[in-house]
Amino acid sequence: MNLKSLAILGTTALTAIPAWAATSKTDVLTTYADIAHAGYEDSLTSAKALQSAVDALIAEPSAQALQAARQAWLEARVPYQQTEVYRFGNAIVDDWEGKVNAWPLDEGLIDYVDPTYGGATEENEYAALNVIANPTFTLSGEEIDATDITPELLEGALHEADEVESNVATGYHAVEFLLWGQDLNGTDYGAGNRPWTDYATGDDCTNGNCDRRGDYLKAATDLLVSDLEWMTAQWAEGGEARSTVLSDEDAGISAMLTGMGSLSYGEQAGERMKLGVMLNDPEEEHDCFSDNTFNSHFYDAMGVRNVYLGSYTRIDGTVVSGASLSELVAEADPAVDEELKAKLDATMIEMSEMKTAAEAGFSYDMMLARGNDAGEALIMGAVNALVDQTASIERAVSALGANQIDFEGSDSLDNPDAVFQ
Amino acid sequence: MRRLALIPLLLPLPALAGLDEVATDHALPRYEALAQSTETLAATAATDCRGEATLAAYTAAFDDWMGVSHIQFGPIEDLNLSLAIAYWPDPKNRTGKALRGLIADADPVVNEAEDYRDVSIAAQGFYALERLLYDDSLPQGDYTCALTAAVARGLADTSAMLATAWVDYAGTLTQPGPDNPVYPTGADATRKVYTALLSGLEFTRDQRLGRPLGTFDRPRPNRAEAQLSGRSQRNVVLSLAALEDLALALADAPIPQSQAAFDRARARAASLDDPVLAGVADPMARFRIEALQQDLRDIQTELATELGAALGVSAGFNSMDGD
Repeated sequence: MNLKSLAILGTTALTAIPAWAATSKTDVLTTYADIAHAGYEDSLTSAKALQSAVDALIAEPSAQALQAARQAWLEARVPYQQTEVYRFGNAIVDDWEGKVNAWPLDEGLIDYVDPTYGGATEENEYAALNVIANPTFTLSGEEIDATDITPELLEGALHEADEVESNVATGYHAVEFLLWGQDLNGTDYGAGNRPWTDYATGDDCTNGNCDRRGDYLKAATDLLVSDLEWMTAQWAEGGEARSTVLSDEDAGISAMLTGMGSLSYGEQAGERMKLGVMLNDPEEEHDCFSDNTFNSHFYDAMGVRNVYLGSYTRIDGTVVSGASLSELVAEADPAVDEELKAKLDATMIEMSEMKTAAEAGFSYDMMLARGNDAGEALIMGAVNALVDQTASIERAVSALGANQIDFEGSDSLDNPDAVFQ
Repeated sequence: MRRLALIPLLLPLPALAGLDEVATDHALPRYEALAQSTETLAATAATDCRGEATLAAYTAAFDDWMGVSHIQFGPIEDLNLSLAIAYWPDPKNRTGKALRGLIADADPVVNEAEDYRDVSIAAQGFYALERLLYDDSLPQGDYTCALTAAVARGLADTSAMLATAWVDYAGTLTQPGPDNPVYPTGADATRKVYTALLSGLEFTRDQRLGRPLGTFDRPRPNRAEAQLSGRSQRNVVLSLAALEDLALALADAPIPQSQAAFDRARARAASLDDPVLAGVADPMARFRIEALQQDLRDIQTELATELGAALGVSAGFNSMDGD
């Protein structure tokens, strides 16, 4: 995926930190890498639980088995969303992320859809390809044999087919679609309601091609597991992601701040939250099939806070913590540190209010409805808190003396010296 | 008096570089112009529907929007009005769907300007209006004319709101200090403007040029901005002019390298002779559009070394930094 971030260039020395500073940048970065490793390992563990549930659903389809798989998916999102803050700022994560969490998708690429979905679009010729129903098809002039639906087929031929980003064939949201189906309730209460019989055998099969649907679900889930295995290894001792952030202290600290700011502002506050409200469009929900969007937002915000405070609570309740960015900022400017901590907390409170309302039955798509002032207020409260915390993150950048930031697209992460040539 | 005189020595000197010029010479008159031309547009559309007079008024108003579209901070952000004025890119054709939905239902929401503000932003602003004025495949008739008038009216009201709000906001921007909750230091305010400058360049490079360019093997000519009204190239030229004006206003010393880079980019953009950037699909013409992208990168580089360094600020985070 594109590196959608402002990379704070690592070439500029972070000179504002006094010589007597007690917190070592290497220790801060070690905590950062440890949290990443724990977060991806937790994501892997819970994706494996999802994999078992999917295997059980395919082996013995039932309403209970489908429900168990959905529950496993929901649980798997909790640790994963907390890792999203690593995406912006770490090229290795950003380049990989598209396979795992791409969104929004033209789900008609994968399976049957409601007639209201429409067909191919000007933007995407393959928006209604329906791989599950079609064992062979032509894609960008190439004959594709999809008789066997394998992880290789999904990540090779199908994902981002025809260079269209919404051709999402893999990752959490492809699996989500296969478990829930389209949410046809608009801005009314209710998530997708795919019948378990979409995976039934023989005459019980609904909507056709149940075996191929099962194959697709299995391939996508297996691929998710192997992708998470790979990323977990990158953050382990000796892994590439860990060595990269530790190899240049200043660039590493910049990556941390870049991740926090870019996720908070352009991505979460803007693209994922504000846009949905302003379009009144439930298709703009991040987890639109399962109606789990409020949790995705909540745990994204929590991930930002984890990175700053240098502490992550794992899915088994144990805590990974250590020297923090907060301590580093406090040594440079205690007021900025206090301000940023307070704003991160304020964001979590706004997010909690949104989450609480959603869990009580005021679902996220209802909040998006035209003229729903209460829903708009809940979402915009969180948006404004995110915008507010971004201003403090910028102050933290200044306090640490990281005084050169560059924009996405200028290859700055790949080639930090480019701008100064 | 003596004690007061000491204060500047105790506090870091605020970076006030050019903030007054940014407000007084750049933002305020440009927002005022937008308010006037969108008002003319609304008045014309109310009687002329999609006639020639409306098209001319639309062109003038869109030109004025290009003069301020890079200002993504201040009232437009605080009041959440940016997308209601300009929702693009629109890869899922939300604008087309939203307009067709309203027309199919003959939704009475068009009757009250106050109500129309609640509809999807995909059915508001310049790009929705472009569909209504230039897309002949939309069903025509009294309702569509009422819809056109409602969108134009909304645009005028929004622009007037921004012009008014900027008068107050100019004080906030130009008087940073400990008592200013938005900009406690001059650097905070300067950074905001500087970020808008670089974000504007990035938007033109990655969206206005990058979207139609696609890749060499898969160019996407029909993704160019404002194609229906034939403004794709024009918007690139106008955005460069507006950004150069902002850079000069912000600078408190000459920035000859940056100006030279702007000149090169503007000359190339103006010489493309390709109103809808259809050239992306032609190898030779494509090369010139790619070169223009590089010109924009060069401007960013010059600004970072010549302006950013002199002001002592770096760009902050970008509101358009999503997927």
